[in-house]
This record gives sequence, C-alpha cells and structure tokens, in this order.
Amino acid sequence: MTDTADRCAAGLAEVLAEAGHGEPQVSIAGVASAGATRRTLFLEVLLGEQTIPAVAQISSASTLLGASTTVEDEAELVRIAEAAGVPVAQVLGASNHNDLVGGPVVITRRVDGVTIPRHVLRSLQGDAAAGERLTMQCGTALALLHAVDHTVVPASVPVLDPAGPAPAYVQQLSDTLDGLGTSHPALRYGIRWLGENVPSSPETPALLHGDFRNGNLIVSPAGLGAVLDWELAHIGDPMEDLAYLCMRHWRFGSELEAGGFGRIDTLRDAYVAAGGTWRDDAFSWWLTARTTWWGIGLAFQADNFSNGITTSIVHAASGRRVVELEYDLLTLIGSQS
Amino acid sequence: MIDQPSTPELLEAMAATLAETVVPACEGAPQHAARVVANLCRILARECADDGAATAATTEDLQRLLGSPAPLEELVVALDQLLMQGAASTTLDDAAVRSVLMANVERRLDLSKPGYRE
Repeated sequence: MTDTADRCAAGLAEVLAEAGHGEPQVSIAGVASAGATRRTLFLEVLLGEQTIPAVAQISSASTLLGASTTVEDEAELVRIAEAAGVPVAQVLGASNHNDLVGGPVVITRRVDGVTIPRHVLRSLQGDAAAGERLTMQCGTALALLHAVDHTVVPASVPVLDPAGPAPAYVQQLSDTLDGLGTSHPALRYGIRWLGENVPSSPETPALLHGDFRNGNLIVSPAGLGAVLDWELAHIGDPMEDLAYLCMRHWRFGSELEAGGFGRIDTLRDAYVAAGGTWRDDAFSWWLTARTTWWGIGLAFQADNFSNGITTSIVHAASGRRVVELEYDLLTLIGSQS
Repeated sequence: MIDQPSTPELLEAMAATLAETVVPACEGAPQHAARVVANLCRILARECADDGAATAATTEDLQRLLGSPAPLEELVVALDQLLMQGAASTTLDDAAVRSVLMANVERRLDLSKPGYRE
C-alpha cells in the first residue's frame, strides 16, 4: 500500500474507533468507480477475530447541487430510515472531518448486489417479474421512509416550506439558475411553467431521500438490498421522491418508467398499500420540476469546469447533456398543456 | 495545403481508439473517463461536420421571434430575461417561444445524442 493509502486506512480505523468499534484494523481492498462527488473504497475491517466487509464513501470538495447535510447527520438519517424498515447499508461510523482520510467520510457494511444502473437493468433483463418486484420494494421503502416522524431528524436537514413546497422549490430553481454564468432559456421556460402550474400541497410534509433513483440502489437477486447516498435528504412533498425515480434520465434507455425496471402503476400500488398517499397532479409536476433541477445540475457541473472549480472531464461532458433534460422538460410540459 | 485526415475523421478515429483499445484495457474511474472522452470525440466530430448550421438556424429563429438582428449570444440573454419576467409581463406568444426552444433543443440533440428523440 502507498503512504497515502496507509494514512487513509489509519484514518478510517480512527473513525470506527470513535464510533465505539474497539481497536479495528482497516485494509483497503479496492477502489470502486469514482462518482462525480464521492470516492468509494471497499474495505476489510478486522474487529477482534471477525472480518467485516465494509465500504467508505469519501466526499470531495465539489458537492452535489443542493447538498447541505453533514455526513454525520446523513449517517443519523440512515439510522432513522433503517429503524423505519427501509433497506439501508448499516452505518459503522461517520466523520465530518478526519485529517488522515482527507474529507468527510461515512463507513457502512458492504451489501451484496449491483449499483451501476446498466448492470441493474441487465440483471433484470428477461425477468419482468423481478423488475416488478423491485418496483414494489421501492414503493414500499418510500412509503416507510415518508411515514417517519420528520420532527426527529437532525436540524441540518433542509426543509422546503411546509405551507407550499412547490413554490419554494420553484424559487430555489430560479435562484440556482440565476447563479450560473450562462443563460439557459429552455430551463428558464421550465421554471416559469412550474411557477404557473403549482400542484396541490401534501397534507403533511415528509422526510425525503432526495436522490432515490436507479444508481443509488443496491440490487441483488432478492431485489432491493439497500438505498444509498442520503446526502440530498430533506423535508418536502413525498411525491418528489416518487417522481424522481421515474425521470427518463434515470431509465437509461429503458421504456419502463419506474427506474427503467418497472411500471408507474406498480410503484403507486405498492406505495399506497404501504400507507402512502399518491397525488397524480403532484407526481406530474414534480416529474417536470426534478427534470428541470437535474438540467440545472448538469449545467452547474459544466459551469464549475468552465470556472476552473473542477478539472473533471465528466463534469465538462455534463455541459453536452443539459440538452437531454431540456428535451425531456419541454416534452413533459407539452404533454401537460 | 489541406491536411488529411479531416478534423471529424480524426475525432472519429480517436473515439474508436478509446472505445476499442483503451476502455477494455482499464477499469473503474479511468475506464469511465475514457468512455466519456470517446463520446465527447463523437459529439465534436458531429459538431465539426455540422459546420455551424444548427447555430445559424437558431439565430434566425430567435431574430424572428424577438424582432432583433442581434447576434446569438445577445438573443439568448434577451430571451432568458423576457422569460424571467413571466408570461403576463411579456408580449411573447407562448406557443411560438416553445416552438423555437424545441427546435433549438432538437438541433443540439441531433449533435450530442442522435436517436434520443426516437
């Protein structure tokens, strides 16, 4: 191992020790494909005579658009979701700052399965029943999450105005677009349409995952193994989570609306059966709103590249993907006008 | 005089080399980066072959919509600002705006992701 890797492993052991895991020994078993905002390491954690397969997610300086929750609070959210019955990767430790690791880190148990969206879809190919089962599990998991008493979540979790999450979201989108160095009239048109067509508000706001999509789910032959990446969790309209899973962008070429692996009807039925309340008008609106958000998100990544904040070629390439979201957005508006 | 291969041809060759030689030889983040760069090479090849036709068509559309002979960059900013004001405070026809926006998006999509509209 290199000095850097040794230091990182020692830092991860510190984080685990601070979380009450005795005197663990950590070895880095591999590096997973680096995400746009997080580096993921596979670990072997030796605790006494027991070896635990684990994963460390280390955040980079360039965070996701809209992320403001600290990783320690994010870890607390995962524990809350786990207690509510949502499948998660159990948290072993978290630290907002560790000099040796080099960034905020969350360490979890490793859950078997695949996460890369195309691998998920390939694993379900030719097995429609497996896709439907996964869709039902997603609907159930979201209903359980949305039923959590949102008043017990950490204070750093953002809250969209409970009186009107949709208008508050429109303002956020507008402010974010204003902050970019370039004009995007199609996205601006989308924001204007959203402001003129706000849907019903939920009876009660809910704790949302905020990034519940194919790519943030661990999927095994048994179905949904764990819901990952809670950094965008917030309090808002539960239909936001359900709509986001169904964005065309997260279907990866599949015609099945829910994550690319299931039908919306299946998602809705499972969500309602598990106690959730489904609102059609809000679903359509949030589908449009989240499509706009991710269009702005990709433009934000390209802006960061152009401004020298990042040298990531993936972020640079995002600039040529904004148009896909603009097309989806205008198509969605056309279908609702 | 004129160098060969042409820019689009070279970009296509770069994309093919990355996709067929580099991508299979690596894994993880480097493999993903190589895939992304290969795709960017293909986009740039199509943009070179288009030779500004898509941009010219959008400029014409916007000049007609806004009644101004200004260059594209100024027209885009002007449309953005009009849209910020909201429908009630502009004289722009909503259907005409959406039509111009969609035409622009379709031209750009044909360069960056052909087949996306199918």
